[in-house]
Amino acid sequence: MTKLAAPLRTAALLAAGGLALSACSGVQNTAGGSGGGDTYPTGSVEMLVGADPGGSSDLISRAVSDGLGNELDGSFPVINRPGANGALAAGELENAEPDGSTIAIQNASLFAITPLAVPEDEATSIDDFDVVGGVSRDDYVLVTNADSEYQSLEDLEGAGSLRYGTTGVGTGSQLAQALLFGDLGVDATDVPFDGGSPTLTAVLGGQVDVAALQIGEAIENVESGNLTPLMVFGPERVEFLPDVPTATEEGLEVEVAQYRFMTVPTGTPSEVTDRLTEGMEATFATDEYQAFNEQNSLTPMEISGDEVVAQLEEDRERYAGLIEEYGINLGDAS
Amino acid sequence: MDVNAFVEGFGVVLQPSNLLFCLIGVLIGMFIGVLPGLGPAATIAILLPVTYTIEDPVTVVIMLAGIYYGAQYGGTITSVLLRLPGEASSVVTVFDGFALAKKGKAGTALGIAAIGSFTGATVSIILMSLIAPLIAGWALGFGPPEYAALALLGVLLVATVGNGNALKALITAAVGLLLATLGRDSFTGTERFTFDSLQLADGLNFVVIAMGLFGVAEILHNLEQRAGKAQPPAVVGNVWPNKAELKQSSGAIGRGSVIGFVLGVLPGGGAVLASLVAYAAEKRRAKDPSRFGRGAIEGVAAPETANNAAATSSFIPLLTLGIPANASIAMLYAALLIAGVRVGPSLVEDNPDIFWGVINSMYIGNLFLLLLSIPLVGIFVRLLRVRPAILAPLTALITVLGVYTLNNSVFDIFVMMFFGVVGYLMKKTGFEPGPLVLAFVLGALVEDNFRRSMLIFGGDPLGFFTRPISATLLVVFVIVAVLPLVKLVLDRRTAALAHDNSKREDVTL
Repeated sequence: MTKLAAPLRTAALLAAGGLALSACSGVQNTAGGSGGGDTYPTGSVEMLVGADPGGSSDLISRAVSDGLGNELDGSFPVINRPGANGALAAGELENAEPDGSTIAIQNASLFAITPLAVPEDEATSIDDFDVVGGVSRDDYVLVTNADSEYQSLEDLEGAGSLRYGTTGVGTGSQLAQALLFGDLGVDATDVPFDGGSPTLTAVLGGQVDVAALQIGEAIENVESGNLTPLMVFGPERVEFLPDVPTATEEGLEVEVAQYRFMTVPTGTPSEVTDRLTEGMEATFATDEYQAFNEQNSLTPMEISGDEVVAQLEEDRERYAGLIEEYGINLGDAS
Repeated sequence: MDVNAFVEGFGVVLQPSNLLFCLIGVLIGMFIGVLPGLGPAATIAILLPVTYTIEDPVTVVIMLAGIYYGAQYGGTITSVLLRLPGEASSVVTVFDGFALAKKGKAGTALGIAAIGSFTGATVSIILMSLIAPLIAGWALGFGPPEYAALALLGVLLVATVGNGNALKALITAAVGLLLATLGRDSFTGTERFTFDSLQLADGLNFVVIAMGLFGVAEILHNLEQRAGKAQPPAVVGNVWPNKAELKQSSGAIGRGSVIGFVLGVLPGGGAVLASLVAYAAEKRRAKDPSRFGRGAIEGVAAPETANNAAATSSFIPLLTLGIPANASIAMLYAALLIAGVRVGPSLVEDNPDIFWGVINSMYIGNLFLLLLSIPLVGIFVRLLRVRPAILAPLTALITVLGVYTLNNSVFDIFVMMFFGVVGYLMKKTGFEPGPLVLAFVLGALVEDNFRRSMLIFGGDPLGFFTRPISATLLVVFVIVAVLPLVKLVLDRRTAALAHDNSKREDVTL
């Protein structure tokens, strides 16, 4: 190769890299606005996710993004903006143009549980968003190691002291168990981990006695007999674990649900939200999406936006009342 | 191990379409590995819709796994050539790799890294085929107390890397530990040094700091040196390591393979610790440790072998227990779920074709990577011949884009620039950034796991000594920490005695 050609070739290579990069990163320069009267979406629509790639929040957004893209004949690239339990993505959505060019599926825990654990000025309020509609529920199941001495709720009740693993501060996993052991009156220590996988590892390795995990995280080890499921925290039994009773069935007032719903900035026109609702309903009806829910052990919660808001309000008040009743401190908020 | 299933697994891998997707996977992986920032997790996420169209889940996972370990190969290239470590596990490679590149021996460094990576990965795959379930059980016994002890040992080893003086290394390591405390406390939710900014709620990102301290600082430093002078491009010497160099590195590669395999099984930080421990082991064994940090070939061979061996063995928790060890493997897990395969303890029995297909595809994939490396190293090394006036802005562009793609955050770009200036000042004053970034990564591991352990032990620190692995690690820690001090005292005493004796002789004379 000649001396001149070498730098040229490497430069070309780098340029190609740069191009590929900017294409992949999903940088948009078109607005998805519906101002012109054309049917939404007219440009590409950014779907923000407040979590890293790979978790259930990310996967659900990707499944819905795929469906919306097909049903509404547009492009809905998923943009990961992880940080502060999703509060960063929420902040970005709140300040985005209310024209449908930015949308996000958000978690109930950010609005109903995290505010109980963080200072007031950092809490995210649902009033800053318009809720388009519900997506799905991702219930928590209480599990113990199959080799441990705790194989039933009675065993837990009789325990002198327990260590319970949670998937983090301000999560449903923490709240559910704090409420449970408050209700049972058991002396239990909260051991927070950084997400589902390390919590699963700790309960399998016997470093904690019990843990609350999302169904999808636990189900493989439940089915293979490594973990014993004691109960689910959701409002009703879960299709994927039909023999496991709910907390309410066990006579415990510790119902905690994690669910996700589609949000847009406040003031987004109804033409946009109607089209989104239409697209989501069509997506929910597809075989691919239903199979996705099944594979990830997700329960559909395809309700209206108003119902979601009412549910969030109810949950938040109920949780706040319960943690006061049991004198629970999730973080430094109180 | 089921020999029939193992052989059938090879049959699966050798189907032409699977071979093709394996090649595509490792090529994509190598390419994104070269670009700092865009990691395998994000790439797999982007490619997820493509995988819906592939019928056979084995093919999907073969390709995605290829992206994951291919990225490990690619990451070395920027570490050596541009001083840009894209991942925590390739930081250690920078010390000697970049020093070699400056001596015109970039080809040697990249060549030995490719050979080491291939060997490490292959040894790891063989061990995985034989004892995956056994080692998975061991990994489960590795709880917070063990992590705390291991990471503490890691912090101690940090001071031994690099070639600066030990005191300066300790100071920068301490700064790294302090930086690790930034962000929302993961036990109480309290904000620490976040200045009421949500951007800092999750603390600082390792890649952002590393790109600033290494990459941007290097650009600034070069700009200063080259100001006003027409600079000839760097000399590029040989392109492949010679026999003597291969022989010199063989021990490092062997030890790195085993260290990487064992530590890689541990989710969260296993690969970083593996590269660090492998490097420290070589430096301690060396007759002349001062060569390290100035272009010792073993200083590249050991960590590169170890981090590839670790990347391979990090599949073990996934394939045997259904626990994804890191974000990239979590993405792979998700792709399998979408393809209708549940990955858990029963995978070997229910889907032996997937289990063995994945493992065996890694033999082939790594062979592809080694073969690809031979021509590509030659091409990449020519990058150094690009005039600095062109290379510097291009590098700057890559780092800015790379950091942005991490979290789609403009804030991160400013953080990187800040650390770029800090890194430049550190270089001017003789402080090395290596101990800082490594201590930063380990600091969070030590703190979280120590606090978790104390919760588990009910507040009794003696609990660490009731568990065999953590007790052993702590004893090793004490030995490594105290030995140099004891040696120092003994040396002084003998010196003093000799001095006394000579005085007495003077008197008697």
